[in-house]
Amino acid sequence: MSKFRLSPLMFRKIHKWVGLVLGLQFILWTLSGSMMALLDKDKVRTHGSHDMAAHGHVLPQGDYFDPAKLAEHGPVLGVNIVDLMGYPVYEVRTPRGVKLVDATDGTLVKVDPDTATYVAQMMLNAPVASVEPMARPNLETRDHSGPMWRVNFADEDNSTGYVSAQTGRFLELRNDYYRTWDFFWMLHNMDYANRASFNHPLIIFVAFGTLWLSITGFYLLFKSFNKNDFRWLRRRKKPVIRVIKEAA
Amino acid sequence: MAKIRWPLVARRFHKWLALVVGVQVLAWSLTGFYMVAINISHIHGDHLVKTPAAQPFDLSQLVSPSQIVTAAPTASEISLTRRLNQAVWKAVSPDGPALFDAKTGEKLAPPNEAEIKRYAQALYTGDGDIISVRLLTKGLQETGGRKPPFWQVEFEGWNRPTLYLSAQTGELMAKRHFAWRGFDIAWMLHIMDYDERSDVNNLLLRTVTWLSFGMAVSGAWLLFWAFPRKRKKKKAVIKEQGV
Repeated sequence: MSKFRLSPLMFRKIHKWVGLVLGLQFILWTLSGSMMALLDKDKVRTHGSHDMAAHGHVLPQGDYFDPAKLAEHGPVLGVNIVDLMGYPVYEVRTPRGVKLVDATDGTLVKVDPDTATYVAQMMLNAPVASVEPMARPNLETRDHSGPMWRVNFADEDNSTGYVSAQTGRFLELRNDYYRTWDFFWMLHNMDYANRASFNHPLIIFVAFGTLWLSITGFYLLFKSFNKNDFRWLRRRKKPVIRVIKEAA
Repeated sequence: MAKIRWPLVARRFHKWLALVVGVQVLAWSLTGFYMVAINISHIHGDHLVKTPAAQPFDLSQLVSPSQIVTAAPTASEISLTRRLNQAVWKAVSPDGPALFDAKTGEKLAPPNEAEIKRYAQALYTGDGDIISVRLLTKGLQETGGRKPPFWQVEFEGWNRPTLYLSAQTGELMAKRHFAWRGFDIAWMLHIMDYDERSDVNNLLLRTVTWLSFGMAVSGAWLLFWAFPRKRKKKKAVIKEQGV
C-alpha cells in the first residue's frame, strides 16, 4: 500500500471532490458576483432614508406646543422635531412605540395614504398607482420596523416607495434594478429566507470548503502548465512542430 | 476531420482561465472567508462602546423648541437627547449640528480636549487608557464620508481601538479597531477597487468576475470526466468476455 503523501495527485483529488460537493455554490458565487458588478449601483441604490436629513425642510419659526405636555403619552425616551408636509411635528419615542404629535397644537397626527403619497412623491416625481398599508416590514424594507405604507409608482422601473406609518418618514425606494440585485445578493450571501446575514453557519462552512478548492486549484496551476504551453509566446516567427501528447 | 476531444477542450479552458484569474479567485476565497467568519457586529466594534439604557426625560423644565428654532434658523431637525447626563436640544443645520442646554436654551460651546477625553472614556467598554487625542480637520480612509472636523481618540491595546467624536457636539461618529481595518482591506481586495474601496462596478471587477464564472463552469464541465466510471465499465466488459 502506498503511503499518504502530499503529492499533486492528492491535491487533484481534493480539488475534484470539493469541486463536486461545493462547486455549484462556487459557480453561483461567480455568477452572482458578476451580476452585482454589472448592475449599476446608482440605479440599484436609490435615495433612501439616509439622504433624508440632507433633503429636510427648514423648521418654521413661531410658537411650538409645550413639550412638558408630551408627558401624557407616557414616559418619553426621546423627541425629534421634523417637518411633515410643511408643518412641524414631534416624533415622541415612548416604550410603547413612536407617537406623532402636531408641534403647533399638540393633536395626534395620523399618517394617512395622502400623507404617504405626498412624502413618497417628494423622493420620486412619478404618478402613483396605488397605496397599500403594511402591518410589518417586508423583504424590501427588512432594515426597518413598524407599520408602513407601500406606495406603488406607475413608472418604467416599477418603483415602490415605503413610508413609515408611525412617523411619516420616507424609508426606502425600491425598483426592479434593486430587486434583481437583491436576488443575486441572496445567492451570494446564502441567507435564502432573510437575505440579511452573511455570518451564518452554512456560508461559513461552504466558504471554508471553497477555500480548499481555491488553494488546491492555485497550487495545481503550477503543475498544469509545461514549457510547451508557452511556446507560442516565444517563437512567433518560426513554424512550430507541435507534439500533441495525449493524457494517459 | 479529427474528432473534437471535449475533455481536452474543457481542460484547456479551465486551466488557461484559471491562469488569468487564479490570484484573484484565491483573494476572493480568503477575503470572503474572513468576511463571513467574523461577525459583522464585532467588525463594527459594537462591543467597544456602551449602549446607553433608555431613560425617560424630565419634560417639565425644558425650554420651548421655538427658542431653539430662533437660535438655529436653518435647522431641519431638532432632537431631545443627552450629553453624558445633561439633557440637550440638538439642532441639525446644513452647516452642522449644534447643542443647546435643554433647560436654559443656552448654546453649548464645542467640547475641548479634556471634555472629549471624558466622553470617550465614558463610552469605552475596555480597560485601556487613552494614548492619543487629536483634532482632525481632514477625513481618513477609516472615517469614510463623515464630515470633518472630528476628534480621534485612540485607546491602549494591540487592536488599536479608536473612537471618533464630533468636534461640534462630542457625539460618537465612528468606532474602529483591528478587525474593522482588516475587513476594509478584505473588502477592497474583494471588489478590486484599490483607490476608493467603494466602486463595485469597475471594469476590472466586471471582467474578472465573468472570466471566473467561465473558469468555474468549465471546471464543473470537467467533473464529468473526473470520476473514472468508464474504466470500471471497461473492466466489467473485459470480465464478461473472460479475457
